Amino acid sequence: MATATRFEVLDPTVEPATVEAAMASRPSTLDGGVLGLLANGKRNSEELLDLLHEVLADSYEFSGVVARNKGNASRPCPTDLMEEMAERCDIVITSSGD
Amino acid sequence: MSTQPPSAKQMQFDDLTDAIEFYFSMESSDGLPVVPPTAESVGRFLDHVGRSGSEVLGEEPTRNRVITVEKAAINAVMAGCLPEYFPVVLAAIEAICEPEFNLHAATVSTQGAAILLVVNGPIVKTLNMNSGVSVFGPGNRANATIGRAIRLVVMNVTGAVPGVLDKAALGHAGKFSWCIAEAEDESPWKPLQVERGMTSGQSAVTVFPGLSPIPVSHQIDDDRPESILAGISDGMFVVGPGETEVVVVLTPETIGHVKAAGWSKKQMKELVFKEAHRPALEWVRTGAVAAGAANGDEMRGAAKSPDGITLLVAGGQAGTVSHIIPLWGGGLNSQSVIKEIVTR
Repeated sequence: MATATRFEVLDPTVEPATVEAAMASRPSTLDGGVLGLLANGKRNSEELLDLLHEVLADSYEFSGVVARNKGNASRPCPTDLMEEMAERCDIVITSSGD
Repeated sequence: MSTQPPSAKQMQFDDLTDAIEFYFSMESSDGLPVVPPTAESVGRFLDHVGRSGSEVLGEEPTRNRVITVEKAAINAVMAGCLPEYFPVVLAAIEAICEPEFNLHAATVSTQGAAILLVVNGPIVKTLNMNSGVSVFGPGNRANATIGRAIRLVVMNVTGAVPGVLDKAALGHAGKFSWCIAEAEDESPWKPLQVERGMTSGQSAVTVFPGLSPIPVSHQIDDDRPESILAGISDGMFVVGPGETEVVVVLTPETIGHVKAAGWSKKQMKELVFKEAHRPALEWVRTGAVAAGAANGDEMRGAAKSPDGITLLVAGGQAGTVSHIIPLWGGGLNSQSVIKEIVTR
């Protein structure tokens, strides 16, 4: 004999909303490009980026470097800073130090 | 029965125990049993506030999570709320979704902030909320379940599950529930919602991203209310320097001494601010300030300004104790937010 269902309960969770997004185009070479270094404001984040720059500079010749620090690791990057990096840089590396 | 059929996924169980165990298994509880939410119980919450379940209360943009009235109701039922509490839960959710609260970072940080809710106004008496003895402790259904509902929303809807996204090193006891009412009748000062621009006839909830409280015991044996300031100053040293926001909770007995001294709220904030200054090198010693970042004679304040100090009155009649509640990230990364509680 089938048992009648006694409890029908609800799901309290939410899945993230998703949107289709394409990856930015990849540069074929870093030579001649402008390197962006975006530190997140934590201790050592600039030092880590400087080290990465040093390592990359052994293999590639950059036409310029834009180094910025977004200042507060717990807040999103300010839009004007994001726009500046997007406009001026061919690639951007960001770091989280501590 | 509510006229709104639920849109949330439904699951069926043969008995209550299985349903309760299910929420443990899907990691949707805080470690304590929950009240299994049914279409009927959730419908009662929606009917009480007269709002559509699909209405969006707010969003957590970093994780792309949308909080609807229905999901808030489901979690409030699970927490053990009554429908009458739901307007407080809704206002608190709207508050934590304001950008200045910075919900994502405040709920996942290693520093481990919990969300302190402070309720003011006529609704405190309507809901029999506790503003007195053991105000931060257990025993009052409204305090306990409203605070718990917010935690369940944070875990289940915005995804800040301990150990998954919530990386708090030590955690926080207030992450089970942390909701108090201000003891407005005991205070000689304007209550919090009036101080922040509302009327005493309006009910409101203020959310603070609070770290664990620092208790201060005042030894007031010679009618020197200044000793209250000294005790608070020592407590604030632990969290300074330069706190943009900090909460100080004073008990009725403590406030009696303040009243006798005749200090207005503004004066007390200024006195606390002034007292809570130390040589910067003392913070260098504790590692709060980097070595080399302070001069020899420089004095710094534990708080950034008197205005950043929120003074509240709550607790039992006996006991000259205070709690200092520092805000996560020094109050810089996340600010307190007040919202009116709207009832029908």
